[in-house]
Amino acid sequence: MELLIALIPILPLAGFVVTALIGRRLGREAHWIPVGLVVLSWAISMIVAAASLSGTAAFDTGGVGVRLYDWIPAGDFNIQAGFFVDNLTACLLIVVTTIGMLVHVYSIGYMGHDPAYWRFFAYLNLFMFSMLLLVLADSWLVLFVAWELVGLCSYLLIGFWYRRRSAALAAKKAFIVNRVGDVGFALGIMAIFANTLALGEPTLDIRESIRLLTEGAGAGGSLVIPIQVVALLVFAGAMGKSAQFPLHVWLPDAMEGPTPVSALIHAATMVNAGVYLVARANPLFAAAPSAMVVVAAIGIFTAILAASIAMTQTDIKRVLAYSTLSQLGYMFAALGVGAFTAAIFHLMTHGFFKGLLFLDSGSVIHAVHDEQDMRRMGGLSKKIPITYATMLIGAVAISGIPPLAGFFSKDEILGEAFKLGFPWVWAIGIVVAVMTAFYMFRLIGLTFWGESRVDPHVEPRIHESPPVMTWPLILLAIPSVLLGLVLGLPLGNSVLQGWLGPVFEEATTALHHAEGGYQLFGIDGALLVASVAVAAIGIAVAWRLFGVELGSFRRRANPEAVRSISARAPFLYRASLNKWWFDDLNDLLFIRIGGRVAAAAWWFDREVIDGTVNAIGAITRQTGRGLSRVQTGRVQNYALGIAIGLIVMAGSYLVIVGR
Amino acid sequence: MSDSLEAYLVLSALLFSIGTFGFLARRNAISMLMSIELMLNGVNLAIVAFGAFIPNLARDGSVIALMVMAVAAAEATVGLSIVIAIYRNRKTPLVDEYDAMRR
Amino acid sequence: MPRGLLTVIASMFVVGTAVGLPVLLWLLGLIRFGDDILFFVLAEILLVSGLLVVTMRDIIRCGLAMIVCFGALAGIYVLLGAPLVAGAQVLVYIGAISVLVLFAIMLTQTKSAPASLVFQTQAVGAALAAIVLAIVVVIAVAATAWEAAAQRVHTATDELAALLFSDYVLPFEVVSVLLLAAVIGGVFLARREEGGPS
Repeated sequence: MELLIALIPILPLAGFVVTALIGRRLGREAHWIPVGLVVLSWAISMIVAAASLSGTAAFDTGGVGVRLYDWIPAGDFNIQAGFFVDNLTACLLIVVTTIGMLVHVYSIGYMGHDPAYWRFFAYLNLFMFSMLLLVLADSWLVLFVAWELVGLCSYLLIGFWYRRRSAALAAKKAFIVNRVGDVGFALGIMAIFANTLALGEPTLDIRESIRLLTEGAGAGGSLVIPIQVVALLVFAGAMGKSAQFPLHVWLPDAMEGPTPVSALIHAATMVNAGVYLVARANPLFAAAPSAMVVVAAIGIFTAILAASIAMTQTDIKRVLAYSTLSQLGYMFAALGVGAFTAAIFHLMTHGFFKGLLFLDSGSVIHAVHDEQDMRRMGGLSKKIPITYATMLIGAVAISGIPPLAGFFSKDEILGEAFKLGFPWVWAIGIVVAVMTAFYMFRLIGLTFWGESRVDPHVEPRIHESPPVMTWPLILLAIPSVLLGLVLGLPLGNSVLQGWLGPVFEEATTALHHAEGGYQLFGIDGALLVASVAVAAIGIAVAWRLFGVELGSFRRRANPEAVRSISARAPFLYRASLNKWWFDDLNDLLFIRIGGRVAAAAWWFDREVIDGTVNAIGAITRQTGRGLSRVQTGRVQNYALGIAIGLIVMAGSYLVIVGR
Repeated sequence: MSDSLEAYLVLSALLFSIGTFGFLARRNAISMLMSIELMLNGVNLAIVAFGAFIPNLARDGSVIALMVMAVAAAEATVGLSIVIAIYRNRKTPLVDEYDAMRR
Repeated sequence: MPRGLLTVIASMFVVGTAVGLPVLLWLLGLIRFGDDILFFVLAEILLVSGLLVVTMRDIIRCGLAMIVCFGALAGIYVLLGAPLVAGAQVLVYIGAISVLVLFAIMLTQTKSAPASLVFQTQAVGAALAAIVLAIVVVIAVAATAWEAAAQRVHTATDELAALLFSDYVLPFEVVSVLLLAAVIGGVFLARREEGGPS
């Protein structure tokens, strides 16, 4: 079992190394090794996950640890590198490897014409390795290494077409904003270590350190660094990686990367790393309720902010990017209110249907020959049927219509928020649900229904994507439909809760969550109906404005109504279109003002500091030059010096002896 | 006055300082050498004076003075030949032109 | 006033002071007749000619003043009761070294000599240094309790010779070697190069 666990990340790593070294020579055949190894890794992780979730003997003690090697032996204190698998890890493994594998297969078709074909697969494999290392890590340091590696892969892949200036800038932006969060995370790790050191058992093992900290904080004693601070610092890292406000600015720009990258990294895996981090550290957060409120607030605020922006975007990938931001906000809101299982549930379902939606958008873009603006699409439903069908499934799933996956996870989040005493989170969440349904069906309407606004030169050449691209779409559509039913039933004590309950047990008891039963015909039923109702309202409004063509149910799009509505709220419309001016704010603060400050500092460094150093040198030089005038080369001058010295000595001797 | 040692010593000191001034102040190399001779003579005078007023040292004083004289002669010889050699090279006997040791 | 008259008046003034000062002192009873006056006059000549050596513009005249200086010194040696030293002074210094110096002066004379400066820029400093040096030594001399005899001691030449060849024979021999070396060195250094500049 340990060997299998260790193989899971090592296979993609090997794929990266091999492809990086000989990929260029393989040309169009470069995909066999990386894809093959990823498929193998998927198979193994399925085996491991199944073993864990079904409760085989090896996983009895809460999980299986794999000790790899002593990384930093430093006297009494040892840092070891190793892996750890429990049910939470198993759920993440399922998501990461499945979506990763399908994206690899999809890329064979999507990137088929790209000259740097081999480099793409090498980077993808490196990313798989990093992400798997992240979810498997058992020590904070290994996790941090994987965290940074994932950020690096994101940079490499966003800027894959590096000759394009916008792509290079977007990659830089992503990395830098990530880094800001990583500073917080690094400080958090240091704080954790400092606390464990102060408690007498220095360790960087994740579970050990969390246990020590919660005990130290809970027993009435206070830690060297308060646990709220530690929790917030760790959350800062999650904010950076999972693009929560105010570090959300990089995710929309990350759409400069190829669509498979957007699907894999920015929908299904990397951005989930933050959610995983907080879930993994759940006892830490449970011991700091004030930090949890912060998490919930930021999460739900990001959700509504992003949803508001998504409603007016015209680029198909941007809509999906803001949608991802919004759904991530949901997940953090769930974590913040204490509904950990709901958050992981949403992570899994969202991974599948958002990955599906992104790959679909890639297929659409491929079909209309690299056009991404939805105003130049329309009427594509007949021409690219498979893409249309799967995308429709994805849209329904994300809107939260039962019995698709999104309904179960979203309803659980909203229900738990209300029941655990956060009605404001519930209220905002409901509004976000309306907006989500609205903008998703706006997207469908603009892209697939109504009259074709496609460029006339392109129109005859619209074609469905090749099977290598459509099979992953179909394969992703299946869990989008069924995952909710599989994991979310029976309501109130679902399969997933059974799996993840032990993982979050400590936290749920610490937070004193009431053990009330699930009341389908009481409060829970009411909340359920509310969620579905608002989703339906959103869809209906979208149909009204953007048309619908479902079988014989047809309605035409109504652009005048759209214009008049936007005209009635000009400020909101403009704010939404301009992303609430956050990029401009950042530009002002950091580029302009920060630039001035930096220029001033540079001036200071040049004139004052360098000036001082140069002045010292200059003074020395001048002094030397001045003193060197003693050396005239003339013996008489030297003799005068001797005479003076002689007089001084004789005189002082006289004076001293005479005294 | 001629019976006091101090008078001769003061005279010697004055002669020596005159020689020092000449050595430090003149531009011509030969003048410098002449000043050196003055200094040596001043010292000689002091030695002979000591010999005259300290009975034990009477003969030693004279002998030492003779040695000093011989050494002064040797030194004057060599010094002057050096000055002549330099003069042949530089065409000037003025020492402030001999500044090759300058930085 | 014509220059000649100026020179005559100046030299009369100088001679008058030179002669008058010891007379005055004798009259005042500060110095006795005989040895003391002789010492005073010789000392005057010594110091004045020494000053002339270091201050005169024309180098040849400096050399001549030096000869006068050495002569006066020889006289003082006789007064001190060291006739051999006095004789050696005349023979060596006046007879050999001064002639050597005059030869060297003649060999190194430049045509533009009278026009250029006599003193260096540091002459003032040098003068100060010399004066202070003199003062220091005079103070040292005055402050020391010399256990000197009341009278000068005359040295007999034969005793001197005996000492020279007994206690001081080694320095004597070394000095002769030194003189040999000086002769050879002097000849070599001042030798003319083959076909070189004259």
